[in-house]
Amino acid sequence: MNHLTLEQLLDLREPGLEPGQAAAREHLADCPRCQAELDRLGQRVARLKALPAPRPSRDQFREIRSRHVAERRRRSAARSVALVLALAATVALAVVLRPGAGPGDADPGSSAASELAAIRAQSQALEETLREYNPDSRAIDGRTAAIADRIEDQLSSLDRQIELLDLMNLADPMRDTRQLRLWRERVGLLDALVDVHLTRASYAGL
Amino acid sequence: MESVRLVQEEALVPLARGGDPAAQEALYRAFSGPVYGLARRICRTREDAEDVVQETFLEVFRSLGRFRGDGSLWGWVRSITASKALMRLRRNKYRDADELSDDVATPPREQPALRMDLEAALERLSDTARAVVWLHDVEGYTHDEIGQLMGKSVSFSKSQLARAHARLRRWLGEEVAT
Repeated sequence: MNHLTLEQLLDLREPGLEPGQAAAREHLADCPRCQAELDRLGQRVARLKALPAPRPSRDQFREIRSRHVAERRRRSAARSVALVLALAATVALAVVLRPGAGPGDADPGSSAASELAAIRAQSQALEETLREYNPDSRAIDGRTAAIADRIEDQLSSLDRQIELLDLMNLADPMRDTRQLRLWRERVGLLDALVDVHLTRASYAGL
Repeated sequence: MESVRLVQEEALVPLARGGDPAAQEALYRAFSGPVYGLARRICRTREDAEDVVQETFLEVFRSLGRFRGDGSLWGWVRSITASKALMRLRRNKYRDADELSDDVATPPREQPALRMDLEAALERLSDTARAVVWLHDVEGYTHDEIGQLMGKSVSFSKSQLARAHARLRRWLGEEVAT
C-alpha cells in the first residue's frame, strides 16, 4: 500500500480542495498509519504555535527615534539639492532650446555641450531621488530585487563605457554624439530604477 | 501569532505619521514585542533580530503615510517585519551553506534521551526552511504570500515546508516505524 507523502499530508491541511486531493482523502479515510501521521503533523504545528515568544532584551526606542529624526533631516536636505539640480537642468535646457537659437545660430559643439550638461544634471537629480528614497534600507521582495539588480548591472556597464569614452581622443568627431547617447541611456535606466522602487513601494503599501 | 490590537490606533496613526514622538513611542511599545518575536524566529541571532526591529520601525515611521488602513495595522507592521527579516537572511545567505547535514548530528532514534526539543530542532533548520515553517505554520502566511516575500515560487515554499517537516519529524523522534 502506498502511504501518503508528507507533501500530500501538508496539502490536506491547506484550505480548499486541490486536484488530486480527493484520492488522498479517500486513502486517508481507510489508513490508520496516514491518519496518525496527519495527527502528529497537526500536533507538531500546535506545539510550534505554543512555543514561548522570544522577548526583546533591550528598549531600542531612543535609537530608532534619533535615527528617524536624522533621516528626516537628511531627506529634507536631499530634497533641496534635487530641487536645485532640477532647476539647473531646466535652465540649461531652456538655453539650448531658446527660440532664437536656430541651427546655424550657435556653435554645434557648444549646443551639444549644453545638452550634455542638462542630461548630466537630470541624471544627478535622479540619483538624488534614489538616495533620498534609500532603497538599501527598505523592505524589498525578491522579484523587485532581481529587477533592480539587473538595472544596476546595466548601469555599471554603461558607466564603464562612459569612463572609456572620457579617455578617448578629444578630437574624435563622434565623441559628443556617443557621449550624448550614453548619458541619455543612463538617464533612462535611472528613471527605470526609480520607477521600480517606487512602484514596488506602492504595490507593497509602503 | 495572535493578532495585536493597539488602543486608540485611529488617533495614534495620524499623529505618528506627522512625527509626533509620543505617538511613535506608543506604536513602538505596542508592537516591539511581537516584531522582535517574529524577527527572532526568522533570524539566526539576537543581534540580527534587534537590527530587524530597528529597520522595521524606521520603515513604519517613514511609510505610515502610505498605510491605507484597509487591513490591520499589525498585519501591515508584520509584513514589513517579515520582509526586513528575510532581507537580513538574504544578506547573510552564506549561513545557509552552514546548515548541518541531516546525517551528521541527528540523534539516533533508539536513544530517546537524546531527542531534540522543538526549539533546538527549529534552530537547526536552515534559515530559509525555518522562515518558511514559521511564516506558514505559525503566522498563517499562504505559500503564495511566502513565495512573494522570498521572490520564489509557490512550489519552492511547499517543498521547503515538506522538507523541514521531514527533518523536524526525524529530529524529534516522531517517525512512524515501518
